Amino acid sequence: MKTPDRGAFLLAAPAHLLLAITITIPAVYILWLSLNDSTFGTQLTFVGLSNYFDVFADPSFWNAAKNTFFVVNGIVYVEILLATLIAAVLVSGVPFRPVLIAIILVPYAASEVVTVLVWKSLMNPSYGMIGRALIDLGMGLNWSVSPSDALVLVGIISVWQHLPFSFLLIYAGMMAIPRSLYEAAAIDGAGTIQTFFKVTLPLLVPTILVAIIFRFVFAFRLFSEVWLLTGGGPARMTEVLAVYLYRDAYRTGDFGAAAATGWLMVVGTLLFASVYLWFMHRGMRNGNV
Amino acid sequence: MSDIIERLLKILTIIVIAVWSLFPIAFVVVSSIKPPGDIFAYPPKWLFTPTLQNYVDLWLEFGEFFHTLGNSIIVSIGATVFTTAVGFMAGYVYSRYSGRLIAASALYMIAIRLLPPIVVTLPLFPIVSWLRLSDTHIVLILLYSAFWVSLVTVILKTFIDEIPRELDEAAEIDGASQWQILMRVILPLTAQGLAAGAIFVFIFAWNEFLFALIFTTSQAKTAPLVLSEVMDAIYGTSWGVLFAGVTIQLLPVLLLVVLANRLIVAGLTAGSVKG
Repeated sequence: MKTPDRGAFLLAAPAHLLLAITITIPAVYILWLSLNDSTFGTQLTFVGLSNYFDVFADPSFWNAAKNTFFVVNGIVYVEILLATLIAAVLVSGVPFRPVLIAIILVPYAASEVVTVLVWKSLMNPSYGMIGRALIDLGMGLNWSVSPSDALVLVGIISVWQHLPFSFLLIYAGMMAIPRSLYEAAAIDGAGTIQTFFKVTLPLLVPTILVAIIFRFVFAFRLFSEVWLLTGGGPARMTEVLAVYLYRDAYRTGDFGAAAATGWLMVVGTLLFASVYLWFMHRGMRNGNV
Repeated sequence: MSDIIERLLKILTIIVIAVWSLFPIAFVVVSSIKPPGDIFAYPPKWLFTPTLQNYVDLWLEFGEFFHTLGNSIIVSIGATVFTTAVGFMAGYVYSRYSGRLIAASALYMIAIRLLPPIVVTLPLFPIVSWLRLSDTHIVLILLYSAFWVSLVTVILKTFIDEIPRELDEAAEIDGASQWQILMRVILPLTAQGLAAGAIFVFIFAWNEFLFALIFTTSQAKTAPLVLSEVMDAIYGTSWGVLFAGVTIQLLPVLLLVVLANRLIVAGLTAGSVKG
């Protein structure tokens, strides 16, 4: 490995310039923006923490935070569980495995708009194929009226779209487990289920934690699914944090409050990621990973 | 006996996975060639006479859609080429050089990606309109590149790590400059990594909604945006027209994912598990 010379700096410069101009400098500027009163096109007036107090005093913010918390946790854990199950079945050996992997990847090709649009029509309670079948089975989702049903549908849509990503991470993790361990388990007379819980799962913990962090960070910014399905309604009951922020900034024009919400989202994401990273670090130090 | 049960459970799981993944897509593609009256027949109509009427109506009623498809192509290819080029150069640096500055900047590149995209739109929105760049392809290309350059850099670093350093050194002894080594030695050997990175950026840019919603209004509007507007304005029989548009927007990336799924798996393994 060489120590970086002038050429190395020049080669890395475009990537870093791009990040600085479009992400890093704006992110720092938002901190300043969140301490000011600002509407689009007007001068900034310094107001200290009052934007944060305003946001905290707004019941809609707390509702959006609560919705985000429940939807994100639901999405991530259901997705990791399903991904682990599917990966375990595939690793155990199935016919046409490459074809099956291609099939599993299909939802990854669809845009969020297409995904919402398809599910919206399939789940329509009066003419959707699945929506009507569910009603006939007595399990109908009344998502256009009931906020909790709408959030369940948001969760289903999101899991459908992102399952390929979680699956690939966990599948790659399972493939990396040495075959010899399974041979040893077989010699010891362990059954399929026993082998999974005693060999596969313990060795998979770091991969699962990585998958959880990735999916949490990405699910936390959930926007399109909610915006396109319900627009946050009825009565702002289905808003999540990104929708709350979007409405403040681009509908109400209150950039200061939106910036405060934005920083709260950043802090929330980092807190969560760091808690998991800490667990991972501790697990590795204790040598049980 | 338990062997048979296990095998049956396995087959059942596979069928459920396949139906779960394929059904919504198959529904929309098949519906796009159904006569409008048959799309929402209940119980579903499995046999029907295929028609291209929905596609003709799409052309007649929402000609704008084809214009926005052109924008999607420009923005996606622009972002893909730019991100891959920039990420390739950075990936080479992170593969071949070490030191505290290198380690710190690599960590920063990964960490900055945790930022929710909607957050950076707040300060950019006024600046972009002040620079008269709103509703242009450039804004979307730069934003898409910024959010994907980290992943592409990591993917390419992992692929370049596989190329023996002796090759660089031999070329250096022969008097090749750093740029020549990069273009003549490294580039040809990294084709797979470049393709893997490019596929991720292309799929993302082709499908992106939030930035397009905030930064474009008419000239640079992309296809997902116009589909969402048609969905909002939906009435009566237009679902068929909408499904035709969805199918056109979906097919190119669907083909890409199915044909290049090995590269996607390789890219993701390089980008997140190892890195």
